[in-house]
Amino acid sequence: MSDKLKEIINQQAERQNVVLSQLDDIVQLVGFVIGDEEYAVPILSIQEIIKPFPWTRVPQVPKYVLGVFNLRGAVIPLIDLRTKFGIGAKKHTDETRFIVMRNGDDVAGFVIDRLTMAIRIKKDKIGPAPDTVNGDETLIDGVGKQEDGIITILKVDKLLERDF
Amino acid sequence: MDEFQEILQDFLVESFELIEQLDQDLVELENRPDDLELLNGIFRVAHTVKGASSFLNFDVLTHLTHHMEDVLNKARHGELRITPDVMDVVLESIDLMKALLHTIRDTSSDGGIEVGACVVRLDKISGGDGDIVSPVVQAAVVEEELEELIEEMIEETSTEPDYENMEEDEIEAEIERLLAQRQNEDKAKRAAKIAAGESVPEAPPAPTEEAEAKPTPKLAPKPVPVTPTPKAVLHHDDDNDARAAAPAKKAPTTVEQTIRVDVKRLDHLMNLIGELVLAKNRLIKINDDVEERYEGEEFLEELNQVVSIVSLVTTDLQIAVMKTRMLPVGKVFNKFPRMIRDLTRELNKKIELEISGEDTELDKSIVEEIGDPLVHIIRNSCDHGIEMPSVRLAAGKDETGIIGLKAYNEGNQIVIQIDDDGKGLDPVMLKNKSLEKGLITEKEADAMSDKEAFALIFKPGFSTAASVTNVSGRGVGMDVVKTNIEKLNGIIDIESQVGVGTSMKLKIPLTLAIIQALLVGVQEEYYAIPLASVLETVRISKDEIYTVEGRSVMRLREDVLSLVHIGDIFEVERILDSSEHAYVVVLGLGAQKLGLIVDTLVGQEEIVIKSLGEYLKGIDGIAGATIRGDGGVTLIVDVVALMEMAKGIKSTVASSSNETAQIAKEKSKASDYKVMMVDDSKTDRTIMRKSLEPLGITLIEAVDGQEALNILKQGDHNFDAMLIDIEMPRMDGYTLATEIKKYNRYKNLPLIAVTSRSGKSDRMRGVESGMIEYITKPYSSDYLSSVVQRNINFKSEFLS
Repeated sequence: MSDKLKEIINQQAERQNVVLSQLDDIVQLVGFVIGDEEYAVPILSIQEIIKPFPWTRVPQVPKYVLGVFNLRGAVIPLIDLRTKFGIGAKKHTDETRFIVMRNGDDVAGFVIDRLTMAIRIKKDKIGPAPDTVNGDETLIDGVGKQEDGIITILKVDKLLERDF
Repeated sequence: MDEFQEILQDFLVESFELIEQLDQDLVELENRPDDLELLNGIFRVAHTVKGASSFLNFDVLTHLTHHMEDVLNKARHGELRITPDVMDVVLESIDLMKALLHTIRDTSSDGGIEVGACVVRLDKISGGDGDIVSPVVQAAVVEEELEELIEEMIEETSTEPDYENMEEDEIEAEIERLLAQRQNEDKAKRAAKIAAGESVPEAPPAPTEEAEAKPTPKLAPKPVPVTPTPKAVLHHDDDNDARAAAPAKKAPTTVEQTIRVDVKRLDHLMNLIGELVLAKNRLIKINDDVEERYEGEEFLEELNQVVSIVSLVTTDLQIAVMKTRMLPVGKVFNKFPRMIRDLTRELNKKIELEISGEDTELDKSIVEEIGDPLVHIIRNSCDHGIEMPSVRLAAGKDETGIIGLKAYNEGNQIVIQIDDDGKGLDPVMLKNKSLEKGLITEKEADAMSDKEAFALIFKPGFSTAASVTNVSGRGVGMDVVKTNIEKLNGIIDIESQVGVGTSMKLKIPLTLAIIQALLVGVQEEYYAIPLASVLETVRISKDEIYTVEGRSVMRLREDVLSLVHIGDIFEVERILDSSEHAYVVVLGLGAQKLGLIVDTLVGQEEIVIKSLGEYLKGIDGIAGATIRGDGGVTLIVDVVALMEMAKGIKSTVASSSNETAQIAKEKSKASDYKVMMVDDSKTDRTIMRKSLEPLGITLIEAVDGQEALNILKQGDHNFDAMLIDIEMPRMDGYTLATEIKKYNRYKNLPLIAVTSRSGKSDRMRGVESGMIEYITKPYSSDYLSSVVQRNINFKSEFLS
């Protein structure tokens, strides 16, 4: 009896170890669609995901900065990723969401076309951004390979950086 | 924090407080060199700092303060006259002391500052041999009550290396003197107490002192050990200080009850209040809505009461918390007598400073910010304003120039006014100088009023000083003043008359976080304008606007006011039709005025300023944002920037492009016609659809007014007519029609009411809100179809 118990415990411990070691190599992302492409950002950089609600336009800013909105008492900028990525603006639909991302003290909301899902991806499945877009200026952190295609992982700190 | 750090913190806080008072006292002393009380006060500061610093092992500081103490000691015993020369050295040493304290604060050590030279000068004044205090051998002679002496001796033993060089009789004399002094003070105190009606036991001196020290229990004297531990020294130091301070401060019983609180906590409290104010605004709005909907209900009164109590208490709370952050502006003013004194000697001028209203209170953050601008202004007044004594005499003025510095409340603002009776600002000269430096063009110079010319001194790079002196003339400074004051939402007003003097007024809001604002609307957007910059609002009709040199202006009583449309500044799209009338908000900033045209005036509201954050900071014309009662965000106008921006904007006001972009598109097939049906009932919509489908026109449905309006706003469709039910949730038909008619492009859109309401008043309301047809339910399909056909000019050839 006790032998069996030990065996089970050992097995469990082993499994846990495997899981733990796997955890180290796994990145958790949240995927979303803008235009025809699928993008992702690390799950930990996301503060919340909300349904669209009214915002206030701010003058003298680039087109992709839609304005500011009130998130429980904080005034937060709202950025349209479609416009920012050079795809024409589109009317908001039922699937449109605001993703509020945070990096340190920098917070901003981003308009995306639709959410896909939370993704776990192994680090070794993530390749560097293509050479042509390399450099400090790129928003792309890397490209994740999945069975059914590739997913572009964005740099949250770059997204939150003012570039005008 | 370990014990040492804690003591060090206390020491620094105490020392800085003492020094603040010191500067003023010293200048005062120069005028009244015989004022013993002043001298004693100054001496005590040096002494206290010395005592504590020796305990904390700050040798350099101890060394310096010790020598200062010597000089001051001589002075207070009448052995030394305080002449300006002596004062220079004393002041220099005080500066060194400050520098040392700053070093200690930043690095926890007092190295790196050379005090040797100053010490030598101090010694020279105090009689060459310098040191005066008793050596340790004399300790046995000293009575218990002479704690001050003992303490001094302890310090001597621990820090002063050359007490052995002192001469016996000198030491004796000093002890005698201190003894006599102490006893005199005691006597005086006792006399004061008796006079105050307290019974003072005729006991030996020591107990008497104990009784006197009572008000602050922690300071109750302890028996003095001959070789006290360091801790004991500190206590005695406090002890001493408290008692020594007593006679100067009159009645010792009136100790002010205060608590030191970390500013961070107050800031946090202030933030919370800010949130509360927002919530209060929201509550008031909800209350209004509820009132409208449930008119006459009993619970309303109760709700009203609660809301008004909450709003009252919130306002009081806000004021109360604001007050905890208030500091008297005297904290800043204190440093100026000293500064003026130094400047007079440096510039060889005679200047007197008159301070008043130093009790006026200001928010702590403002007090901290206001210091530097004031320094610049006062330096400027001394250097450029006040003339040399000979010049003054020749002009028939008193040899001594007077600079007045006063603070007072004016409404929701604090005014700090700096006056001088110097030569005044010459607008012509200012203009010429600016022209020379290329800061303005000739044309600008000609158009400038005197007030605007005075404001030239705030331009970066401007300086009237013929040569650069130590004091001013580098052309930086006054522009810093302006930016600093504007940062505080304040304004500067200059008045000056050549030969008579200059008066500068700094108007600063009481607090930074919460302000009164005027809310204005333009098209569908709202903006908040700080009320402090709003002079008045006027309603004008379009033909009162004239165009001069491509700029819009209007006549406001005697003046011509230049106008700018808020929509031009903030790039607002003109969708809605602007009515015949417009509102002009007259903005005033110092001498400048500007009329800002807005579509509507919403009202006055208390708003909490929130920053737009790192991502959007520094947007021209926007100072921040606030959250309104309905939860929406409203941007706050930066009036200073707006005035700058207005200069670069050409008028579009007069020629408000009223091209109705209603391009009637050619219809080539039946489905080119689009009709929107707005009804909350699915059945009704289906009936309408059934009636109209045979025509082959495109039909779009909306379930209520709100949705219909949204569809219109998106502008995806070009509608030829709308069928509107009157009774709908969220937004009814009348409201919808009124809203639609506000839009320029929908001016001519036929709105057809389809409703079961058939009363005459209902029809009237329908017409008022802009409906052109009124169909009552039930209706026949053919009737509906024909009405629609008529209104959309349906071409009969499309009828199949």
